[in-house]
Amino acid sequence: MPNEQKIRAILFYLSVAVFFGGLPLILSSALGYKFNPHTFKFTKTGIISLKTQPQGAEVYLNGRLLNQKTPATINELLPGSYHLKLVLKKHYPWIAQVNVEPRKVARFEKIILFPNRPDIEQLNQNKISDFWMDKEGDRVYYLNQEEHILYRSDLQGERFEEIGNIPAEFSALPEDLKISPDKQKMLIFNAHQVCILYLKPQGTYSVQAPVILNFPGKQIDKVFWHSDSYHLVLATDNNIEVLDIESISNPVNLVNLNKKISDVFYDVDKNTLYFMDSQIAEDGTYYDNVYKLELGSEERLLRDLIKSKQNANK
Amino acid sequence: MEIIPGFLSWGIIITFIILAIFNPVSCAIIIIVFDFYWIIRTVYLTTLLVMAHNKLYRQKDINWLIKCRRVGVQAGLDRLKHLIIFPVYKEGLDILRPSLKSIQECNYPKEKVIVVVAFEERNPQARENALKLESEFKNKFFRYISTFHPDGVPGESRTKGANATWGAKKAKELLQSEGIKDEDVVVSCFDADTCVDKEYFGCLSYHFLTVPNPHQASYQPIPVYNNNIWQAPSFARLVEISSSFCQMIESMRLEKFVTFSSHSMSFKTLVDIDYWPVDMVSDDSVIYWKAFLFFKGAYRVLPLYITVSMDVAYSSNFFKTIRLQYKQKRRWAWGVENFPFLINGFLNEKQIPLAKKIRRSFHLLESHVTWAVWAVILVFIGPLPLILGGAFFNQMAIGYNLPKITGLLFNFTLLASLAWIILSRIILPPRPKSVSWLKNVIMILEWVMVPFIIIIVGSLPALDAQTHLLLGRYMEFNPTQKNKRVI
Repeated sequence: MPNEQKIRAILFYLSVAVFFGGLPLILSSALGYKFNPHTFKFTKTGIISLKTQPQGAEVYLNGRLLNQKTPATINELLPGSYHLKLVLKKHYPWIAQVNVEPRKVARFEKIILFPNRPDIEQLNQNKISDFWMDKEGDRVYYLNQEEHILYRSDLQGERFEEIGNIPAEFSALPEDLKISPDKQKMLIFNAHQVCILYLKPQGTYSVQAPVILNFPGKQIDKVFWHSDSYHLVLATDNNIEVLDIESISNPVNLVNLNKKISDVFYDVDKNTLYFMDSQIAEDGTYYDNVYKLELGSEERLLRDLIKSKQNANK
Repeated sequence: MEIIPGFLSWGIIITFIILAIFNPVSCAIIIIVFDFYWIIRTVYLTTLLVMAHNKLYRQKDINWLIKCRRVGVQAGLDRLKHLIIFPVYKEGLDILRPSLKSIQECNYPKEKVIVVVAFEERNPQARENALKLESEFKNKFFRYISTFHPDGVPGESRTKGANATWGAKKAKELLQSEGIKDEDVVVSCFDADTCVDKEYFGCLSYHFLTVPNPHQASYQPIPVYNNNIWQAPSFARLVEISSSFCQMIESMRLEKFVTFSSHSMSFKTLVDIDYWPVDMVSDDSVIYWKAFLFFKGAYRVLPLYITVSMDVAYSSNFFKTIRLQYKQKRRWAWGVENFPFLINGFLNEKQIPLAKKIRRSFHLLESHVTWAVWAVILVFIGPLPLILGGAFFNQMAIGYNLPKITGLLFNFTLLASLAWIILSRIILPPRPKSVSWLKNVIMILEWVMVPFIIIIVGSLPALDAQTHLLLGRYMEFNPTQKNKRVI
């Protein structure tokens, strides 16, 4: 037999030996068994899998520091309960009592280690009493109710500036604040008042005096800007109205509600209002329904609608 | 018999899928066993490759003709003639000329060389090409003849073997007319693009003259694809380098070694076993089994650690090259037709020991089934228990360990790839001046394509071929398109 064939034969038998020698160890380990060389017996074990965000936390198992950092796999654990602690500098530790079952893996792979000195940053630079977010416009709006001043900044608290004064007649705390689609006006409202503030595109103070609309006999639930930025859609406790802020005309009642409005949504892109109201059946039972009211995307249509309603009221 | 390989391959794959759905733990266990087996197999085969490579490297500077002359007249060197047959179908002069030139430039007396260029008559260019080649090479060898294999001979398929047989029979007539005995002739059947090493015939002669029972052996050189390797695209180059390496590994496993592609054998034996099969695609391996059955199992393939260089098969764009390579590998995998041929031969042959019959049948079957399923198991079946096993499997220790063990397998494969990269650099011919040095870097980086390649030209063509055989849809010989080489 040539030399290389002898070497090959040795290599072959060596490979066979490694295969049959290593296979039981690999398989038992994969299945969760641990071979005890003292007793020559296989013991059932379990696994703990740890993944943290951020990585690199030290792992303490029953108080003993392990020689691995997260992400970590603790193999060959005898079934039972283990005290587990993950420690990362400048972060709160993660502590848990973990139950390990035989031939199973206890996965803790979505652990978040929170920083123990969270990065809190104050945004306002003046005294305020309320705020609103306009994420789309990358703005935060602040209200100082005592002094009736409105401020705004970007989402980082930078470019903090005073943008206008709320008239003193606007008495109660605003429930919400809304910027018009053309970004030139802002409305705030409370239960009985709507205040329109005119914004300079880039300035600090208003170019036009604020307008206050009073609704003494009604309770305002929601106010929406129409897409033309000149009409408001009001949802009150007993009706849905629309009004033109330019002419400060009387509101036009579009819908009378049978019950106090609960949920209402306005799709400004399609100028469509979705709201819930009740209907009384012949047997006197109330049924709740969801209604859709299209207010038209063209200003002309809305004006026609208002005009026809006003004529009808006359 | 034709059903068995495909049935086994598909059976293994389907069983794995069913197990992954209904018993993912069992499936995972089998996958781990297979992965571990594959790691050891990879290490073992890579070691064999290194050994074969080493042997090839050590023998590359031997002047075999001098060694032949030392053996001398007594051994029959003066009587020995070499018959070289090139079966040709559509290959043009750009392919054939360099092949003939390589024989002409061999370090071996040309008056001992007979060349037969065996054309297919159905190729309209055949006569014209034959005339041109004859005008160039007729007087360069002891004899040079062109033969034209007629189309539609009863009992024949359109295969390379039919053409080679026609050429060999014409050569037999020539030898008889020249008074040359069959036993004094060694025949080499070369693919049209085969360029031999200049020491090839010296090496072949030396082995033929010195081994015991030289007529009961085929002589297999190491096929490399160096003719156009610098010009070929990465994908095709990698596939062909891998093919060369597989052949080198096989050359170390003599008990399984079977002839492949271009090879040589005793002309007397070729005549005795009634030439190459005329109705089978894989004539290069069937010829070995025919001889094996003829000599009642006392026939072997002897590796020659000398190269014959062929063209890397590629086409004008990436997808056409994939298609071309796929079809070529499917043709190679069609060698699975040897299995029913061999079993039928064994059933009719009582003198071969049963153990030998079982061993050789098993080797043949195992190699084809492994070829068809290994990449599918490693790439597709491996992750199946995790995907189909559900929450229960994922909370089991084996569900957790399976991807880790599979990852280990890939790391080992990468390690083996490193050895393959180094070896591939050694067998490369010198870089032509027209090729940028950057190609050296590309030729290393391109090895990242290996996982992709093992699927495209690993298992799928073999599975395809076995399915064809299983369904009785027999393949015809479809020669691989070769590109014009640049030497």
